[in-house]
Amino acid sequence: MTTRTASRPIGAIMTDAALDMPTIDMAVPMPGFPAHREFVLVRLNEDGLLYAFTSVDDPGLRFLVAPPEPFFPDYAPEIEGDVFAALNTKDPDRLLVMVVITAGVNETTANLMAPIIVDRDSRRAMQVVLSGSDMPVRAVMRQAY
Amino acid sequence: MLVLTRRAGESVMIGDDVVVTVLETRGDVVRIGIKAPRSVQVHREEVYRELQAVNREAASPDDAAVRAVTELLRPALIEPPGD
Repeated sequence: MTTRTASRPIGAIMTDAALDMPTIDMAVPMPGFPAHREFVLVRLNEDGLLYAFTSVDDPGLRFLVAPPEPFFPDYAPEIEGDVFAALNTKDPDRLLVMVVITAGVNETTANLMAPIIVDRDSRRAMQVVLSGSDMPVRAVMRQAY
Repeated sequence: MLVLTRRAGESVMIGDDVVVTVLETRGDVVRIGIKAPRSVQVHREEVYRELQAVNREAASPDDAAVRAVTELLRPALIEPPGD
């Protein structure tokens, strides 16, 4: 089994060689978590199917996030120009889309209504609310395709 | 809560940077326009509240929940007998 468990020491998480990128600054904090401005993306699965979006201010706070494509292949959120402005985006193709997972023993769901968009170059991110869409905040996740 | 009365076309300023304008009223529906800096998020209240709630539910899952998600990623394996 190569997937890391939740109980690694904080120091190991922060200097983990598997980190894709250093600190990510929130252009807008996540709704419900206004004090958390910096995060790191910790890879939990060797195939890159699961990450822990972990607060630098309080590593006890983390969100499980995943790229949507393996689970929701038709999901294509429209990211508008104001997001590019907030993230200082030069190349929209360099944006990473991650969906926040609500994990449960009985059911695991993904928030398709508000994906986290990360600009790999500027290292800024925000949770974009696709209001006006009918996307569910709790879309049931099944096996990866 | 501060209560103000406005007609269509009139506005309210919140701080230096946020302007809320009543665009038109039609029966019991009011169209509102909001000008705000991009650092200020503007959303329908019920949408934002639901998003806060889901984020809080999603925050810091316990080990059992993380294991459940990890299982989702794994194609079904057949356990060898007699272990």
